[in-house]
Amino acid sequence: MTSPGDATPANSTKSSELARIAAEAAGTHYSSVEFTLTHGSSNGHSMPLPSDPDKEDPTGWPTDFCHFSAAGLSVSTSTWPSAMSAFSGRVQIDRVDDAGQQDTYSYSGHAVPNPGFLNQSTRKVEVFITLGTTHWSPTYRETLMQALVIEKLTGLAAERDAPVLHLHTPVAPVPQTYKAERGDGSNERLRDAVGPCLRFSVGVDPSRSGTRLDFETELAALAEEYGFGLKLSDQRLNRVRGEWFTIRGFDRERYRQARARLFPDAPVLTPKRAVVASVVGPSRTGTTATAVAALRARGIGVLAASISSMRKTTFINLVLPVAADVGETPPQWSGGWLDALPRLSSCAGPLPSVADRPDESLIADWKVAVSPAMRCSYPPSGRQTGATFTGRVPYPLWLWWQVPHRTVDTPALLAEAQAALAPHTRRCEVAYAQSRLCRGDVVRGRAKLIVMLSQEHRDHAAVQRVLTDATEAAQARIRDRLPALGRVDPSRVRLRLSPRERWLTYADISA
Amino acid sequence: MTAHIRQSAVAERSGDGPLDHLRTMVQALPVPTAPLTFPSREAALGLALMDQSFRLDHLPRLSEHLTLVDRGHMSRTLSVDVDLDLISGRLRDTLLVPGEAAPGGRASLWVPVSRYSRRDLAPVVIRDSNGEVVPRLSHRDANRVTAAAFVKLLFMLINAHDDVSAPASPIHRLRHTHQRSRWLIEAAITELIMTGAPAGQRLRTPLDYAARIDGAHPVRELAQTALDELFPVAGGDQLLIPFARLLQLAIRQYILVAQLGLDRPRRFLTWEAPLLPAQHRPAPLRTLTQNMLPVNREFVVEYETEIPRSVKAYHLTLEVRQEISVRRFLMSSDIDDEFVEALAQDLESVARRVDRLGSHHKLLELEMQGIASRLAELGRRRLVDLASYEAYLARLPIPVGAGSTSPARRLTADEVLAALSAGDCSLGVLAAFCAHYAADGLQHLARSALAGPALLNIAAGLRAVQVGRDVTTDNDPREHGAHAHWRRPSVELSPQSTEPVRVFAFMALADEAPALIESITRMVAGLALVVLGIGTLLSGGIAWLYSSRVSENFAPDQADAVVAVLLLVPGLLLARLDLPSTKSVLGQLHKFQRMLAAASVVVTTALAIVVGTVHSDREMTRLFQLALAALIVILVCCLCEFAARRTHRSSAVPRSTKVPRWLRDVRGTTRRTVEPDDLFDARGEGGMR
Repeated sequence: MTSPGDATPANSTKSSELARIAAEAAGTHYSSVEFTLTHGSSNGHSMPLPSDPDKEDPTGWPTDFCHFSAAGLSVSTSTWPSAMSAFSGRVQIDRVDDAGQQDTYSYSGHAVPNPGFLNQSTRKVEVFITLGTTHWSPTYRETLMQALVIEKLTGLAAERDAPVLHLHTPVAPVPQTYKAERGDGSNERLRDAVGPCLRFSVGVDPSRSGTRLDFETELAALAEEYGFGLKLSDQRLNRVRGEWFTIRGFDRERYRQARARLFPDAPVLTPKRAVVASVVGPSRTGTTATAVAALRARGIGVLAASISSMRKTTFINLVLPVAADVGETPPQWSGGWLDALPRLSSCAGPLPSVADRPDESLIADWKVAVSPAMRCSYPPSGRQTGATFTGRVPYPLWLWWQVPHRTVDTPALLAEAQAALAPHTRRCEVAYAQSRLCRGDVVRGRAKLIVMLSQEHRDHAAVQRVLTDATEAAQARIRDRLPALGRVDPSRVRLRLSPRERWLTYADISA
Repeated sequence: MTAHIRQSAVAERSGDGPLDHLRTMVQALPVPTAPLTFPSREAALGLALMDQSFRLDHLPRLSEHLTLVDRGHMSRTLSVDVDLDLISGRLRDTLLVPGEAAPGGRASLWVPVSRYSRRDLAPVVIRDSNGEVVPRLSHRDANRVTAAAFVKLLFMLINAHDDVSAPASPIHRLRHTHQRSRWLIEAAITELIMTGAPAGQRLRTPLDYAARIDGAHPVRELAQTALDELFPVAGGDQLLIPFARLLQLAIRQYILVAQLGLDRPRRFLTWEAPLLPAQHRPAPLRTLTQNMLPVNREFVVEYETEIPRSVKAYHLTLEVRQEISVRRFLMSSDIDDEFVEALAQDLESVARRVDRLGSHHKLLELEMQGIASRLAELGRRRLVDLASYEAYLARLPIPVGAGSTSPARRLTADEVLAALSAGDCSLGVLAAFCAHYAADGLQHLARSALAGPALLNIAAGLRAVQVGRDVTTDNDPREHGAHAHWRRPSVELSPQSTEPVRVFAFMALADEAPALIESITRMVAGLALVVLGIGTLLSGGIAWLYSSRVSENFAPDQADAVVAVLLLVPGLLLARLDLPSTKSVLGQLHKFQRMLAAASVVVTTALAIVVGTVHSDREMTRLFQLALAALIVILVCCLCEFAARRTHRSSAVPRSTKVPRWLRDVRGTTRRTVEPDDLFDARGEGGMR
């Protein structure tokens, strides 16, 4: 379509993204990102919500927020552009003393974002990996296997310069669908809240479809080699997030063989304690693979992970198991990546020391925040284990919202959602939440809540009815409450709460 | 390293690198000895303006009013609806006009409303709905903040580079130790933006005039090397191309920035764009044919422009003189082209990898289903366009030929797949594909014959029929005006794109009834009757018309009276015709018809001379016969014009390259396309071809 005189292609989508990033970074006169990071233990009490933003100060509202909790440990991150410019290196991270909060460890820091990390125009390929069909209670060996899978998957993406947009484990397993089922998902089997599954998405340049196909082919080959189940997001038009296309089913026997072959000596015990490590730095491709490979080389597996990029800064949040025979573990710490490695190795117990590999220099200038060892807890049961006769099963609920910026901050909104669900539930915790500032000055977010219903039902249809009713009622309640909470025009609030992930979408008519 | 620099110097000389202007400037400028510092507020403003001017997503509606001033010039009035609430709060803080906090003075923003080529130098005056002039940012200031923005962006890219903390690397030296090289790059960017370089021109520097200059200067060398490091050619689409494109637009275009008060967030602005000259493509043979043969010429104008992708509605109106009719007005945009291109690339990639993908059967099936869903959507969209086009043909004042095209034949799923495999992506096939896809009739595509080299044919077919272009038709009931209302599709198929949408408009201007040709035909017929009458009266019968016998007394005794009639009648009739000037569009349309009128008058005048001078009956009879024959020939030409007009009117689809191929195919227009009489290109870059 370009006229022959033009030396460069006419497509300007990436150029405009570059201009947007630069404009946003320069808008605050300085080009850095401020962030806060909170590690905590959600055992026994509700999740530790980060402090309220200073609502009088317009720059005090975080633009991006991410929360993640698994095995009783949680991480919350907030970022916003900052006026701070004078610090050495690419990232700076400091401890913040928490007043009173038990089991909460906070950090704050600054990072230089990477404006050359252009990923907005990319086509998102979302991948769902199944590493087991039982309920989630991973052993040391499985954490190592999970680390290997993460390393291989992100390595595949890094080979093709495809940035990892998001990686999250454990997640709710996808129930097998059968042709006889109704297509709307209304009688879809209920899902476990968490399972030994992993979701991740990479961004591929739409003009390089060959790269995408090669990536997918090698992913399928990898699934075949290790026996894990592989699903890809349904790429058909009009299909929404949460609809999957099965490429390979989970091959239990092959997976077991691979696990036994690769990690014959790893203990088959469920970790009792774990540390949270957050690796922070300017976004680049290949960083996750490098970080996880370095840990795995030191015998450290990954119990749970949440990786996301916010304002061109990547946060690799890993929950790392602490070996059972390690007695004393180091206290809360933050510092450089290379200094963090020996510290993290000490959690994995005595192992031969590993020489630093040259490719670790990719994240050598990144910073790490490590929490002290904290006690893990696992969900008691899942539907798929057959433990349904008690009816005490945690179910996942999905939440999607869009509110004007600087009205309701994400922790407050999540707390509101928990409160609205309280009449129907015995327990309600946020497994995952992410929100970011989008075009048009609105904050858009998505969360997954795990609920234990207060009424115990064994009947599938009854539970579905209860869940649907509870979410409908809670949704109406939150919508009623939000305008008062944030002094926001009710017509500008959009919110959906549903037991089905793919029911969250609003009419996709460009507003 | 030296070899490397030489290489880049060669690339720069050949002028095909994306950053060649910048590199040339780095070679040519004197090395600065002090930094060029811009206030950080200006850098932020420049970046915000650049960002907003790219997307223009605060403009929900855009209207263009075109007036054909004469043959070769078009005046344009642009109006936009601006919604300041759509600018995000963060950018709004940056765009705030400083120093307006005085009591009574309300805060206002600098808001980019358009971009236009640096070649257009006419002044632009923006007015709001009250007719008040809206203040603008001067070009000089706009250039300065843009330069500040680029300097800032460069600095940010250097800061974020992997090597910035690796001592002795070019980036580290550029940042910390050898700052003159960075200042040189900054100075080069500033110089480029302040002076500008319109599209299609090679940058001229003093270096072109000097011989034997030692190009090897350590500061310049480091600057060139650092540019190579900062914007690596390998994987250039990551950063090199985006940055180069940004710089290219900044040096080719101006941003039009208006100062708008925050007290009224929704505004309507209007301004006269610089007069647009037509790009003539001389085709002497064709022009001669049009002017010398009775083809009832149409005057075809094509217009091309770019609109921001985020615009929700775009109105294009055309107004011409009342005497001219707009016979056809059609608009087409390339809104789905990016989507089709991505689809075609997917098809080609899958075709090349069928064997590898085939080992993972479900993966191939997923790809095929993804492709099928997109093909079906394209078929559905174009079918909607076709329906609106047919409705347009039906409501034309003079209805067109066959009416709606009912499908020639209904296709079964197998027939559809066979047709697609052969590369037939005509609308009928795509529509049938859409129907079968929606009816779940296309499952297990990975096992069908489609999965394989046939995909390459489909990709080629899709590109050939231009299925990514939509069609919008005229809905103005007036004959001398036209209006097309384009709406962004409800679901954007390439949602992430901010690439502007190219819009093509085709307009065929014609002389419709009551047309000049009708008056001329009457006049010629009248003159023929006059000659016939005089001849019959002189000869005393009508035998002279067909018989070779010459009647006596044909030469009149009182020749003066006959001469007077033969001179006065045509003169009077000619004076009654309103012949336009040759410069105007109407003049162009009437060129041949004017010739016919003149010819008929010449014939009668010549006959008058004959009557006055010739006294032989025989010669007089023969010349009367000759004159009558000539007038009848002219009359036949007039009738040919009517026939040609009828043909033009019944043409279902214009034969223009601006009309998407699929539409031309669906109405069976297989004849080759014709060049327009005038082409107006209002794209900001002034795409010279």
